[in-house]
Amino acid sequence: MKQYYFTTQKMCVGYENKPLIKDVEITLEKGEILTLIGPNGAGKSTVLKSVAGQLALLGGTVYLGESAVSEMRGNELAKKMSVVFTQKVRAELKTCRDVAATGRYPYTGRFGVLSKDDWRIVDEVMELTHVTDIAGQNFEKVSDGQKQRVMLARALCQEPEIIVLDEPTSYLDIRYKLAFLSILKEMRQKRNLTVIMSLHELELAKIISDKILCLKGEYVERYGTPEKIFETDFIRRLYGMENDGFMQDERFCAYIRQLSTI
Amino acid sequence: MDKHRKYRYIMAFALLAACVLFFFILNICMGSVEISLSEMMRVWKGQSGTETLRRILWDIRMPRAAAVLILGGALALAGYLLQTFFHNPIAGPFVLGISSGAKMTVALVMIFLMGKTIRVTSADMIAAAFAGALLSMGFVLLLSRRVKGMSMLVVCGVIIGYICSAVTELVVTFADDADIINLHNWSRGSFSGMTWENVEVMTAVVAMTVLFVFWIAKPLGAYQMGDVYAANVGVNLKLLRVCIVIFSSMLSACIVAFAGPVSFVGIAVPHLVKKLFGTAEPLLMIPACFLGGSTFCLFCDLLARTMLAPTELSISTVTAIFGAPVVLWIMVRKKVDKHH
Repeated sequence: MKQYYFTTQKMCVGYENKPLIKDVEITLEKGEILTLIGPNGAGKSTVLKSVAGQLALLGGTVYLGESAVSEMRGNELAKKMSVVFTQKVRAELKTCRDVAATGRYPYTGRFGVLSKDDWRIVDEVMELTHVTDIAGQNFEKVSDGQKQRVMLARALCQEPEIIVLDEPTSYLDIRYKLAFLSILKEMRQKRNLTVIMSLHELELAKIISDKILCLKGEYVERYGTPEKIFETDFIRRLYGMENDGFMQDERFCAYIRQLSTI
Repeated sequence: MDKHRKYRYIMAFALLAACVLFFFILNICMGSVEISLSEMMRVWKGQSGTETLRRILWDIRMPRAAAVLILGGALALAGYLLQTFFHNPIAGPFVLGISSGAKMTVALVMIFLMGKTIRVTSADMIAAAFAGALLSMGFVLLLSRRVKGMSMLVVCGVIIGYICSAVTELVVTFADDADIINLHNWSRGSFSGMTWENVEVMTAVVAMTVLFVFWIAKPLGAYQMGDVYAANVGVNLKLLRVCIVIFSSMLSACIVAFAGPVSFVGIAVPHLVKKLFGTAEPLLMIPACFLGGSTFCLFCDLLARTMLAPTELSISTVTAIFGAPVVLWIMVRKKVDKHH
């Protein structure tokens, strides 16, 4: 059998014992990019939280290499997996550099004081995510797009093997959307970083992903390579647009068709 | 950038330490009997001074000033912990009803034990206050799951405070006359009548708790960012929450047991100290809040004793005058920030 880096077996996710999505089976090799797509409320964030160990699984197991995520110690997992989620970040009186530096937590000692080497890593990562110019600014005063890149820097400061992102490009303009995704690609090339994320932008999902997971209803609708997912009419079915009146408009139809051609 | 910061921290610590020393000496020298600095030094060395002077200095003013220093620091630190815990800049032991809860149990235990003519020790008082603080804290925690928003939580805390105060008033009314005088002074908040025995016990309890708080400084820093990111870097959130609740209740209990409820120090001081340092980093804030609380309370107790001498004001009267405006300022500024 082939050895995968990240696997979920019969993963069942949901809140308070109410299963939302059952039997999620994901297999990823090291350095692959997986994108979750699906309509609003389909449970993309729930899957991501569960994968990151922040929400207890209702069934099944998530494996990183050989070991189950639920059995790893907090610090051990923190050195392997980091997250960029949509929750508001509290950063009272912190500069952007301070926020990025909080990612060094798993590597610092009893009192959490960063060494020179830690700061060097922070500065390198900030360079990589193009936030060096705002390093000294108050985090709460910078734009949403800048915040998002600082949060990516924070996650990368953890030096993870796998990174989990929930709609990381939502607040960014087109230039920064592409810049953001190209950083992920660069990290994959340089450090063999594995990526699991959710995206709303289908056209971006199509060009960046190695695998795509479509969520709709109680089960995974479809899982596979972008070529397999973006078949004619699948997108229309996934988002439940077959009977929508506005799809009578020829230009809308053309837009959807365009998405579906590889 | 970092050099500039380090310089600022060192200056700020130096300023706070100087203030503590300055007000400590003023507290010892000033009062109904004025003692000059040189006189104090001579009495200190045992070279001169009447027996009365020595008594005033050694048995009354020194233990009182020491108690204010320790309890003031503990109070500010308790406020800082609660603000961090609830992510709420106007949380504190007084507004959340934790002080009142502690006051209630202490009053009950005092009246019960005095009724049986058993001497109440410092340890009894702290234990009683701790139980009361945890009880109130439990209620606040239950409510905090239901109510959203920082102002609603504080409103709930204030109501809990009122309920506890009402119960306290009730039992005090039914207590013997002799006890009332004791209780009445204490239940309004006062640092008077501290003994060296009190100071020894509170030093032991507060010092130990502060050490424990230092021990959780690192996870506390991650917790400030929010649950998601704290969990992601490997913080055990449940354990950390339990620790914060116990430590802040212990500190609050210590103050109430010895000085009664003292208002606004817990909110105002951490806020002012954060402004002075320009950071909210726990490793710096823990000692800074302690020193800030000591300074603020030494200053307020000095005024409470001397402003209308020989009548002594309750400590909360003075702390409210200087602390409450700071709280208002925080609330107004929060609103302004939201609009921009």
